[in-house]
Amino acid sequence: MLNDLRQTARQLLADKKVDVVIGYGQADPAGPAYPVFITRPEDTEQLVFNDRCYNNLTTFLTRKEIRAMGRAAVLVKGCDAKSVVVLAVESQIDRQSVVVIGMACNGVGQPSLAKCRTCDVHMPRHTDMVIGQAADHAIEAKDRYAELAEMMSKSASERLAYWGQELSRCVKCYACRQVCPMCYCERCVADKNQPQVIKTSATTMGNLAWQINRAFHLASRCVGCDECTRACPAGINLRLLNLMLAQATEEQFDYRPGMDKDAQPVLGCFSVKDKECFIK
Amino acid sequence: MSEVISARALRELIGGWLKAGIRVAGPRRVATDQVAYAWLDRPEDCLLGGYIHPHNSIKEFFFPRHESLYEYRIEGKKIALKNPEPLADERIVIGARPCDAAAMPILDHVFNWDFKDPFYNRRREQTTVVTLACREHDHECFCTSVGLGPDAERGSDVMLYELDGDMYEVRCVTDKGGNLMAGRTETSQLTGSVPPGPAKKFDLAYLRETIGSKFESPVWTEATLRCMACGACAYTCPTCHCFDIVDEGNARGGIRAKNWDACQFPMFTLHASGHNPRNTQPQRQRQRVMHKFSIYPDKFGDVLCTGCGNCTRHCSVHLGVQTVLEAAEKSWRNATV
Amino acid sequence: MCACEARDNTDSLADGTISRRENIYQPSLMEVLQVRRQSADVKSVRLRFSDEAEGKAFSFKVGQFGIFSLFGYGESVFNICSSSNWKDYIEFCFRKTGRVTNALWNIEEGDTLGFRGPYGNYYPMDAWRGKNLIFIGGGIAMPPIRCAIWYALEQRQDYGDITIVYGARTVGDLVYADELDEWATRERVRVVRCVDPGGETPDWKGEIGFVPTVTEKAGIAASNAVALVIGPPIMIKYTLPVLAKMGLADQDIYTSLENRMKCGVGKCGRCNSGPVYVCKEGPVFTLEQIRLLPEDF
Repeated sequence: MLNDLRQTARQLLADKKVDVVIGYGQADPAGPAYPVFITRPEDTEQLVFNDRCYNNLTTFLTRKEIRAMGRAAVLVKGCDAKSVVVLAVESQIDRQSVVVIGMACNGVGQPSLAKCRTCDVHMPRHTDMVIGQAADHAIEAKDRYAELAEMMSKSASERLAYWGQELSRCVKCYACRQVCPMCYCERCVADKNQPQVIKTSATTMGNLAWQINRAFHLASRCVGCDECTRACPAGINLRLLNLMLAQATEEQFDYRPGMDKDAQPVLGCFSVKDKECFIK
Repeated sequence: MSEVISARALRELIGGWLKAGIRVAGPRRVATDQVAYAWLDRPEDCLLGGYIHPHNSIKEFFFPRHESLYEYRIEGKKIALKNPEPLADERIVIGARPCDAAAMPILDHVFNWDFKDPFYNRRREQTTVVTLACREHDHECFCTSVGLGPDAERGSDVMLYELDGDMYEVRCVTDKGGNLMAGRTETSQLTGSVPPGPAKKFDLAYLRETIGSKFESPVWTEATLRCMACGACAYTCPTCHCFDIVDEGNARGGIRAKNWDACQFPMFTLHASGHNPRNTQPQRQRQRVMHKFSIYPDKFGDVLCTGCGNCTRHCSVHLGVQTVLEAAEKSWRNATV
Repeated sequence: MCACEARDNTDSLADGTISRRENIYQPSLMEVLQVRRQSADVKSVRLRFSDEAEGKAFSFKVGQFGIFSLFGYGESVFNICSSSNWKDYIEFCFRKTGRVTNALWNIEEGDTLGFRGPYGNYYPMDAWRGKNLIFIGGGIAMPPIRCAIWYALEQRQDYGDITIVYGARTVGDLVYADELDEWATRERVRVVRCVDPGGETPDWKGEIGFVPTVTEKAGIAASNAVALVIGPPIMIKYTLPVLAKMGLADQDIYTSLENRMKCGVGKCGRCNSGPVYVCKEGPVFTLEQIRLLPEDF
């Protein structure tokens, strides 16, 4: 698998089909892998792929510094591949000018991250190629949202108390936003001050305002790569917020962002079949 | 001969402090797999082991992430200003890591080099730091590379060393620490020691000598292109101290507040004209590392880093002072061969 | 030129209260005496200390800056653009750009603003005695030059010929237009005004062209002269070679850097250009000093 990957990357660079391959490198086998930007065929030996390859590299597709490097090939796991679809649907990338290398993935982390336990895209979809083999199992919708059950069994005030406690640790480092492939706004609403919708202070109320805003902005767009959760230095389980909105989107609109490249985005279209029961 | 305290007596001591109305902060489990320095409600909240480094640093008890500088009240065309509430409470930080405690004397420089910051200074005076020497380290720790170590005493008022049998050796470093522990310890034959710290990751003397002339080095781009532009490194760092000043309030009044800020945000240096002196992420990373290893030490003598490793540990792309300096040293040494 | 002598603002209040004197972030209150519209998006403001004693005790040197604030909106950094000889009030000038300046646009006489300062170093007006002065400014950079011009005019005998080259995009963008007229009437003062091509009006009598070219064509004598050049980075970049060609040495060319600042007192960590904190070691630098700085401004 690794040989296939390096060979593919080498060929893409040697044939000048791409200027940069966005992949994973790893200096220390005991440490995590991290993003690398390979521009010369001979450097493709640096590429690795294993269960420490956490990052969703598609975030770099919209970064100014990376765009300046030219045409890109990007490595994606199944979950990350979904964000390529959303970026294309939202016209943030020209899908034809990006080479998407899918990596069959059996889950990352030891033990596997929460997202991997309900993953039904071990084989990435809508990529230009897939390297490796992994078995996909169908996951029932209710299992995808099983983690929410406990949270939703609590009363609204208990839930608010839980989030108040969790978000009291938020320092507004914006790691959640910065790693998110869907947070590509050139100027985030949190950085705007005319008017100042979200206070910049990292107080519990200010943090709540920020995270609620972000969650709503990601509703029906979040592909569930969970990078925000992993990146949070304070260990806030942002996954729960995203899951909640993903569940609503799937139940109400039968839509899972990034799964079907031809599906119209929920917030970008209207259908007479749209349920309106969520308006209460 | 040494002074020791049992784990039980230490907890009783914490309980006594809390009962006396002293605010006590220490490592505390705040979520599954998550240990933070936080205010303690009960003595048993305090963790004295089982983690490498809390996800934050003790700087927030001296330089909080959000702090009111004063209140303003708007009365027609007139303004009334009110000073913040007195900072009069006595505080104790217990279970600090040596790399966190060492940050405080380093930060003293910038908050006092010309104008003196009364908020920071008041808290420094009121707070006693009790440090727990380290018996373990992880891949991200590099205290030994910046002249500190698992039992460095810098910035601590008291040092605790774990002994066998649920005991701690107590070494009072300052009078403040001596006063805190007076009469609380017993004399013993046991003395504490710690295993060696992490192996050195880079040559500080070489980097200090070289870095000043490396502003244009390609290594900044090579080593930091993957930076995600968040503030996780700065906000978990014991020595990063950049801040913003903002107004928060309504039409009648509010506060002017000092909030943490980070040099990795593009907005940090954006001019009103739209010009940005640090327009790319590698330029901003260079600023962070040069601030720590060139600008600050040139001004104040101390490197602005204690090797706690939080930057790399909490970075989503495994990028921090250590990884950047390792790459830089390798690149610069190769270039001169 | 360094204004970084140690300051002792400590106070000894035992109850933990941070006194007014100690609180380096707390501004003085100032009353708005006058607001003047200078162009479509620039206004100048005259302020007087609300506390008379504080006003009497206040002094500054031309070139220093202050941190001005509108409560509820925040703080902004501006040069104190009045002459340090004017004792009853200070002035600053702003362009409507961000949150604070958009709110400042609506202030009127009698309103209260906050002021912290003066901060930073200053123009070496003493060292410039006996020299010919060349002032070159672009756009909103006239205010930080204006304070030095007035100061020099008020000690006219101390300085030689004064040449002022001031350009803006359009005629309407020239700020302190009335004062330019007045300066032009003074002895041994030459005022060269210019606007970018297309920015002129039918009755425009000044030059048409960019500041560097106009400066070059103006035939300014450079002997025994110092130049103060402030403006957008691009203007400065192309004006410097012109001054060099005229024969000015790097140590005789001054500018004022405008890096983003928050605290003004060397703590908040954002205004540095390489090793130099602009708020404390600047904002005034000679070209000789700037050449030693990394390109970080």
